[in-house]
Amino acid sequence: MEYSFWGPSPSFSAEPFQLLYGTIATIMWICALLSSKEYMRRRLHAGRYYTFMAITYLATAGVFLSGDLLTLFVFFEIMSFASYVLVVQEETPQALAAGGLYLAVSVGGGMALLMGLFLLQDALGTLDWTQWAGALETMTDRSRLYPAAGLAAAGFGAKAGLFPLHIWLPKAHPVAPAPASALLSGILTKTGIFGLVILSAYLFEGDRSWGALLLILSLVTMLLGAVLALFSVDLKRALACSSVSQIGFITLGIALVCLLGPHNAIAARGVILYMVNHSAVKLLLFLLAGAVYLDTHQLDLNMLCGWGRKKPLPTLFFLTGAASIAGLPFTAGYAGKTLLHEGILECLTANAQAGNFRDLLVASEWIFLFTGGLTVAYMAKLFICIFLKKNQDAVLQKVYDQKAGPFAGPLTTTALAVPAIFLAVAGLMPQTTLDVMAGRTQSFLTHHALEHSVHYYTPANLSGALIVLGIGTAVYFGVVRRLLMKSASGNGKYYADRWPAVLDLERLVFRPLVRGMVWTGTIFIGLIFDRSVDLLIASMENDLFRQIHSDEERFSPLEWLRNHPLASFWRRVQEAYTAFSQSLSFGLLATVIGLCAVLIYLL
Amino acid sequence: MMSGAWIPIAIFLPILGGIMIPLIGFRRPKCREIYVFSVVFATSLLTAGLMAAPPEGAVSVVNITKTIDIAFYVDGLGTVFGVLVAFLWPLATLYAFEYMAHEPRQNVFFAYYTMTYGLTLGIAFSANLITMYLFCELLTLVTLPLITHDRTKAAYVAGVKYLVYFVAGATAAFVGIILFFVNGGGLEFVPGGLSAGNIDIAPGILGASFLLMFFGFGAKAAVFPVQDWLPSAGVAPTPVTALLHAVAVVKSGVFAIARFTYYSFGAASLVDTSAQKIAISFAIFTILYGAVMAWKEVHFKRRLAYSTISNLSYMIFGILLLTPAGLVAGLLHMLFHGIMKIALFFVAGAVTCQSGLHYVTDLRGFGRRMPHTFAVFTIASLSLMGVAPLCGFMSKWYLSQAAIAGGGIFAYLGLIAILIAAVFAAIYLLTIVLRAYFPRKGYVAAGNPQAGDPGLYMQIPLTLFAAAVIALGLFAWPVAEWIGRAVAGAFI
Repeated sequence: MEYSFWGPSPSFSAEPFQLLYGTIATIMWICALLSSKEYMRRRLHAGRYYTFMAITYLATAGVFLSGDLLTLFVFFEIMSFASYVLVVQEETPQALAAGGLYLAVSVGGGMALLMGLFLLQDALGTLDWTQWAGALETMTDRSRLYPAAGLAAAGFGAKAGLFPLHIWLPKAHPVAPAPASALLSGILTKTGIFGLVILSAYLFEGDRSWGALLLILSLVTMLLGAVLALFSVDLKRALACSSVSQIGFITLGIALVCLLGPHNAIAARGVILYMVNHSAVKLLLFLLAGAVYLDTHQLDLNMLCGWGRKKPLPTLFFLTGAASIAGLPFTAGYAGKTLLHEGILECLTANAQAGNFRDLLVASEWIFLFTGGLTVAYMAKLFICIFLKKNQDAVLQKVYDQKAGPFAGPLTTTALAVPAIFLAVAGLMPQTTLDVMAGRTQSFLTHHALEHSVHYYTPANLSGALIVLGIGTAVYFGVVRRLLMKSASGNGKYYADRWPAVLDLERLVFRPLVRGMVWTGTIFIGLIFDRSVDLLIASMENDLFRQIHSDEERFSPLEWLRNHPLASFWRRVQEAYTAFSQSLSFGLLATVIGLCAVLIYLL
Repeated sequence: MMSGAWIPIAIFLPILGGIMIPLIGFRRPKCREIYVFSVVFATSLLTAGLMAAPPEGAVSVVNITKTIDIAFYVDGLGTVFGVLVAFLWPLATLYAFEYMAHEPRQNVFFAYYTMTYGLTLGIAFSANLITMYLFCELLTLVTLPLITHDRTKAAYVAGVKYLVYFVAGATAAFVGIILFFVNGGGLEFVPGGLSAGNIDIAPGILGASFLLMFFGFGAKAAVFPVQDWLPSAGVAPTPVTALLHAVAVVKSGVFAIARFTYYSFGAASLVDTSAQKIAISFAIFTILYGAVMAWKEVHFKRRLAYSTISNLSYMIFGILLLTPAGLVAGLLHMLFHGIMKIALFFVAGAVTCQSGLHYVTDLRGFGRRMPHTFAVFTIASLSLMGVAPLCGFMSKWYLSQAAIAGGGIFAYLGLIAILIAAVFAAIYLLTIVLRAYFPRKGYVAAGNPQAGDPGLYMQIPLTLFAAAVIALGLFAWPVAEWIGRAVAGAFI
């Protein structure tokens, strides 16, 4: 008899893309630690914070450098649990609640992922994704792959923040210490993306149904995230919602990698550049938010308003990040966005005759552009609020203006400079930096070469950027200035939280769902089956073997009703325990039941 | 190779050693501790020797009739169980010394506690159904005084309940054995069971006797519907709950099921019968039932007891898949769960011992008051939930792989049940951990304010268990391979 087991020695690999993300993780951690040194000064439990930062770093690097999905899963789980401690670091009620949600999503996602891995292992025989191509060739029925990969994608999507599992991001990021938020947003979400890339590029290259599903989810995610960011009046929450939206953009790229089949090199490059850009921007902006918080102990936009006036360095930092994430020309984000846009157009040309599918692609192009416009609008809102406008409160504005000395400590400034310089250089010289990076690492996502080199600054591409900018300006003046700001009693205006509190996916859908499931479980399993044998014995003792006392023989209707087996049924169940303490004959009774069962079975 | 005579010596050493304790009547705790520990440790050494160099063939001790005798042998399956017991017993004894330090009637307690060791070994090494049945019965009777040790009303009620369930179970098992025997089945354990001897039994009788034995011995393994004694038995002192009701007694039940399934009936004669399907569906249901009830329960030890019910059925599920991979996965979970659960119970006991608290809702802030203890609890909880790369994850991984490879509707149902139960496990264990480490600001510390980490006798076992949970997780593969070799003969 042969035992075929998976030999659980962890395997690692270092493809260029994996190395790139391992390096980015390392650099980000160094920056975050530099900033933490100042952020965590004189705070409680700093030792715990640094310990779990280290564990999270090791696990994240492990995820990116794994050689098979099981190794990846192991590090993924360690990362989830270690980063929980970072989320609840402050131990405020909000932090604990957000941490609970984060843990619930992580555990649920982890279980779905595990189940997916079981099924993938069974269907393909290996969890090493480089060997999947061989397994797929001999496979006749590919329908088994969809549930398996779907479960795994649910696990990865939960970590990445893909709709409808994005709910933890807007809650968990604002409550964590700022350097930890930068990592959660900039790199931990990328581990989920990394998993989605593996599934899409190695299992479903050219598969239209998988690509379309991913495309729809990504469109919802990017639009929803951008709208939420536009409505936010909390700096870190706005950044977190922006992360959700950007994850949608990246997933759109992954969907294109899947849909474009042999022509997917352009989308692959877009995904890589977008990921790198988003990591750098979120590191920069969250660390900057941390510096602002250290200075003012506020995150509300109305209080922060006017903080950055006459502070050139933070203005420059914020502008670099905001312009990059909005994908304006001559910034680092422009290249990735252009590539994704071209990817959509190429997909559209390839599927010009495809009916409904073509409509979907047309819609996605417009949603893509519109969401780009929203990105411009919410970044403009943040920038104008913090760095241009004057605060309502003249006293507060005076305090902000008169603060002497640098806006943050030297370590934080260094940590901010690293991503800012990278973004600036990459934005100004995309051909020599970003293109080289993408060209070296694209082999992980695609084994096809780029068919034609991309010129970023052609009239067609620039006009796309202009459309985005136009939509952004229109949204800023039409929506933000008109709908999202209220006139105060004085002369100025303030930012109002206009997002209806009812529209909370967690409270609206997930909590009732879980509660319903738990209720069903408890009623059916807990109440009916608990102590069922006791119940059986108790009822037999009361009905078949009841001792008749002489004073009960006189018939009395009331007495009869009270003692009727059905009327006092539940009471007797409670009395079952006392019955046990009186007699041993029930053991024999159970024997009789056993014997009867044998007889019935034999007959 | 050791002589066969050493097997009964290893079994009867702790039994006689236990009987001697009240006869000697130790007055000083130190003397008793040295005596008890040396008896237990000697037994473990002897057992280890027996398993390292197993004697060939069975050793008959008493001939009851021409065909029925009390006989022992050491084989692969018995070794797997024996290793677990021999590793845990000395550590649990150390723990019991500290836990029982302020309790009355310690001589009686340790007498029964030590005797139980011999009886458990007897089950592991029994060579035929009658011997196994006999030792199971003796185990029931000897552990009864341990449950009623506190002499409270709740303890007596639990004791009587314990007896009722086990006497009924034993009767059912006995009827099953007789039915099996008179229809041509052999009492000796033979790898491959019936198919090895080419014996045919009518499917109806085969199924009936299998199910009778399954639920009979299954009472010890807390299979639904004969599971309710286990949470009630939590009134016993924690060393009893931890060792007996997480390892020795309940795993005797699992072991007995594995034994008669593979060595009396044989996998080939049971596979795809309705008896297998009925039994496995009860196991699947129990997995879910235990997990849900554990989530509902707020009493610390009872919550762990329900979790045990759920996990025991993982093992039974693996065993009843009737494939080599399933058997190995079930036994692997038996080993790993034993270590994880005893660690969890020891923490529960340490908490009760130090602070007098019994309910999980009282444990806010204990992560800082008992740092070492709760570090162990966290590791064991994460492992039991199935967090990679700890040992609980590995055994669940093997179980799920076996289920998928086995195929069929029941295997998939079981797989889903295992994953749902894992989510529930995450809830019912993590709520304790999170309360302990992240109490809300301004919480009021409950219980004895001086509560801190327990003494050395408790900390040594806890540390060893935590280390074992991590090490076995990293090196599960050799363990699985070893079990695979040990039970390879069971499939013919």
